[in-house]
Amino acid sequence: MELLANLGDGFAIALSWQNIGLALLGCFLGTIMGALPGLGPSNGVAILIPLAFTLGLGATPSLILLTSVYYGAMYGGRISSILLNIPGDEPAMMTCLDGHPMAKKGLAGEALSLSGIASFVGAFLATWGLILLAPQLVKIALLFGPAEYFALFALAFMTLGGVSSTNQAKSAFAAALGLGLATIGVDTQTGVPRFTFGEVHLYDGLDFLVAIVGLFALSEVFIFLETRHGGSDAAGRKLTIGKLYPPVSMIRQTTPTMLRTSFLGFIAGVLPGAGASLGSFISYSMEKKLVDKEGTFGTGDPRGVAAPEAGNNAAAGGALVPMLALGVPGSGTTAVLLAVLLALNITPGPLLFSQNPDVVWGLIAALFIANFMLLAMNIPMVGLFTRVLMIPSRILMPIVAMVSFVGIYGISGSTFDLLVMIGFGVMGWVLRKLDVPLVPIILGTLLGNAMENNLRRAVTIDNGNWWTLIDSPLAIALWAIAIIGFVLPLIVGARVKAKMHQRRDEEGAISD
Amino acid sequence: MSDRIFGVFGIILAAGYVIAALAIEESFLSDAVGPKAFPLIIAAILALSGAVIALRPDPEPHWPALARLAEVAAAVVVLILYAEMLPVAGFVIATAFAAAYLAWRLGSGPLETVAVGAGTSIGIYVTFHLILGLSLAKGPLGF
Amino acid sequence: MKITVTRGLVAAAALSLSAFAAQAQDNPECIAPANPGGGWDFTCRQVGKSLQDLGLIDKTMQVVNLAGGGGGVAFAEVVNKRSDDNSLIVAASSATATRLAQGAYPGNSMDQVRWLAAIGADYGVIAVSADSEVETLPQLLDTIKADPTSVSVAGGSAVGGWDHLKVLIAASAYGIEDVRSVKYIAFDGGGEAVTQLLAGSVQAFTGDISEAKGFVDSGDIKVIAVLSPERLPGEFADFPTAKEQGVEAIGANWRGFYAPGGMSDEAYDAWVSKIGDLYASGEWKEVMAANGLAPLDLQGADFQEFVAGSVAQIQSISKDIGIIK
Repeated sequence: MELLANLGDGFAIALSWQNIGLALLGCFLGTIMGALPGLGPSNGVAILIPLAFTLGLGATPSLILLTSVYYGAMYGGRISSILLNIPGDEPAMMTCLDGHPMAKKGLAGEALSLSGIASFVGAFLATWGLILLAPQLVKIALLFGPAEYFALFALAFMTLGGVSSTNQAKSAFAAALGLGLATIGVDTQTGVPRFTFGEVHLYDGLDFLVAIVGLFALSEVFIFLETRHGGSDAAGRKLTIGKLYPPVSMIRQTTPTMLRTSFLGFIAGVLPGAGASLGSFISYSMEKKLVDKEGTFGTGDPRGVAAPEAGNNAAAGGALVPMLALGVPGSGTTAVLLAVLLALNITPGPLLFSQNPDVVWGLIAALFIANFMLLAMNIPMVGLFTRVLMIPSRILMPIVAMVSFVGIYGISGSTFDLLVMIGFGVMGWVLRKLDVPLVPIILGTLLGNAMENNLRRAVTIDNGNWWTLIDSPLAIALWAIAIIGFVLPLIVGARVKAKMHQRRDEEGAISD
Repeated sequence: MSDRIFGVFGIILAAGYVIAALAIEESFLSDAVGPKAFPLIIAAILALSGAVIALRPDPEPHWPALARLAEVAAAVVVLILYAEMLPVAGFVIATAFAAAYLAWRLGSGPLETVAVGAGTSIGIYVTFHLILGLSLAKGPLGF
Repeated sequence: MKITVTRGLVAAAALSLSAFAAQAQDNPECIAPANPGGGWDFTCRQVGKSLQDLGLIDKTMQVVNLAGGGGGVAFAEVVNKRSDDNSLIVAASSATATRLAQGAYPGNSMDQVRWLAAIGADYGVIAVSADSEVETLPQLLDTIKADPTSVSVAGGSAVGGWDHLKVLIAASAYGIEDVRSVKYIAFDGGGEAVTQLLAGSVQAFTGDISEAKGFVDSGDIKVIAVLSPERLPGEFADFPTAKEQGVEAIGANWRGFYAPGGMSDEAYDAWVSKIGDLYASGEWKEVMAANGLAPLDLQGADFQEFVAGSVAQIQSISKDIGIIK
């Protein structure tokens, strides 16, 4: 009961005209920034901090504005994934895998609105999880020491096999390439530069945003340049956008998926070392292992759209748990939000819930409001978004390319980053030709540092004893899941894969 | 054949990576694992998967004709020039030219080319700089 | 598209006019050598906003993020390209001094720029979890002395970074000869390090007071030493200093600014007095209190000297532990 009273107070704070206006503004700007390649949720929030300060907003209104941007960006990322096969931000990467094939099949409208609904379900359930379980969930986060985090990352990579490519060796190659790229820069454990060749720009390592925009957006532009006269221009862009709303049967088919992946994504979000990208990734690969009996994932299966979207939005909500209750950001975005809270004279931590209940409950109410607002905004706007597909690529592609450049340059102000991005663009183009999946590369650059650091922390804490990695029940359990996830498909899945190969060959190797 | 070359390239890449990893200058103060171990593990996976790719190649991909390849190469050069000219010429001018080039090469007519170039550049400037407040490159004219 | 074009033209015209009229400090600019959201970015934005609120600058301070090389890219840019810019200031902190001292900005040194002023400091703390048997700093250091492998100290900076150096300064002040034997585990930020202290993976924590405050209030961890010259004011007064426990160790993570080396004396003095006025204002006191910043009132030549001293100290301890030769 106390809970409902608190929530009621929260709504009383959040439901003023000013705050609703701010939430609306935040949702709108967030969706746009999420959809633009190169501007993800963390940059989106960071860019709008000055706005909150110049408007002279208090703690709760600022938070409402910025969390609306955060949730909005998580929603928005899927739009360019589905329509253009270019993830708007890193958690939306997995949505490309089935979202874009759906759009190619003429189901863009369904894919967009289905993913909007999945986003809503994930975020909605995660917000309830945040209310009901935040204090208990903190204990889960405390179960994860360095060894357990390492096992979790290993699990993510070992269940990778066949997620995005038919060729396991190429998946492994891509993952290793990504991990290798992540090791560039000053080693955070000992401070020595690695693979920097004396170039000061490389000391901080490669920004994964540069990698993601280069690999996906620029390589897409190159492909269009290459095939302009090949006639695939017309074939690749059908004007049919299908219905705007998914049929009830499709929602019914995907409901169990959404529920399962919301839970999984939420847990991934709660772990401060994991984050939203891992949430959407694990959601997709686990769901694929679980329900993809016919091998339709990767060819435009609605469940493959619902899974990562519910997962990454749930993870976004989950990431607020350690941020509020421990003061530890679980993702880049929550790190920025944490800085905002500190600037507003609020110290997140174990006492936040008792010391600043107005802030916490106002924030939670704001999350609900933003979430409903985004659903209400996104579903009717599906028709508008799909119009993007009608813009001829000779106009659309230059815009995509330039927006990618400005997204990167506006954040880092560095020409060097742009050159690296072009390099990634060329690499992405060649790798696509060779049917090497790009997703594991991004995942490697994204998680590589955390994975290595946790390995080294774990072994160092135990004075050089590598067996420490399998020294706790939780770590052993994670390793067991990882090994089962790796070995099982090799034994049982051979038949399924043969079928998959066949299907892929019929459709041509278009997915990546 | 492409995959065989690619696989061999992967092995060479792994070898280069190992050489660079072994050249890392370790400081006196190190953790129990050190900065080299993880890269060496990665290199092993890289080499192994490269070998598998080379030994069991996929069907040959479709490579473009030389003319198309030149098209892509030209675009890369233009984009590199764009990146280099950005701080010199200023955001609006550089972007207008780069966007116009891409539009032209993707098959726009002359009028459309100019419109796409100017529209993209000014549209982005307004959205990103004036509305969102990102600092974009300032040229001699102040934008 | 038409509307966009006209709007853009108007805006462009307005901007070029303002560029034409630009004079020193009329167009104040602050480089944050990191991506938005970090400490340096916060320093720029908060100071820019407060300066404008107080009427010390007329125009909004333009904040430019120039990330890379832990601040090295921005440092090189200022030294090489904008050395005589009178309207430019750059956010800096102990991390800048640490990297300068360890030669992590290749080819650059601290005397290539002019150091303006500090805006506050965050003192270092050493903490253990609430249920730890350790009660005082000497107790912890004795345990380390007896068996260095038994205590893992967690902090938010890389090995050789500021959080690590703080615990080494304490260890060396206590007479531990081979400070390299102190087992330090680097985490991504102080928050993560505290979490691992709570999780029991590590036994001690070294960080800034602002990172530890929330967990002290909740009773999850206890601060066994704060590395300040004397006890801090207000709610932090309960924390014992290292000094009063007989360990002569002081570690302040200061925040401040530097300016291009070729800045005119006139502009330099103007900036120094502006930041001095800001520091003295009541509004800034509130900002400092809100962010757990302790007083550090240093401007102009005093600050220059302070930075030089801190670079020298870091250099000598880094040599001792073999991070630099």
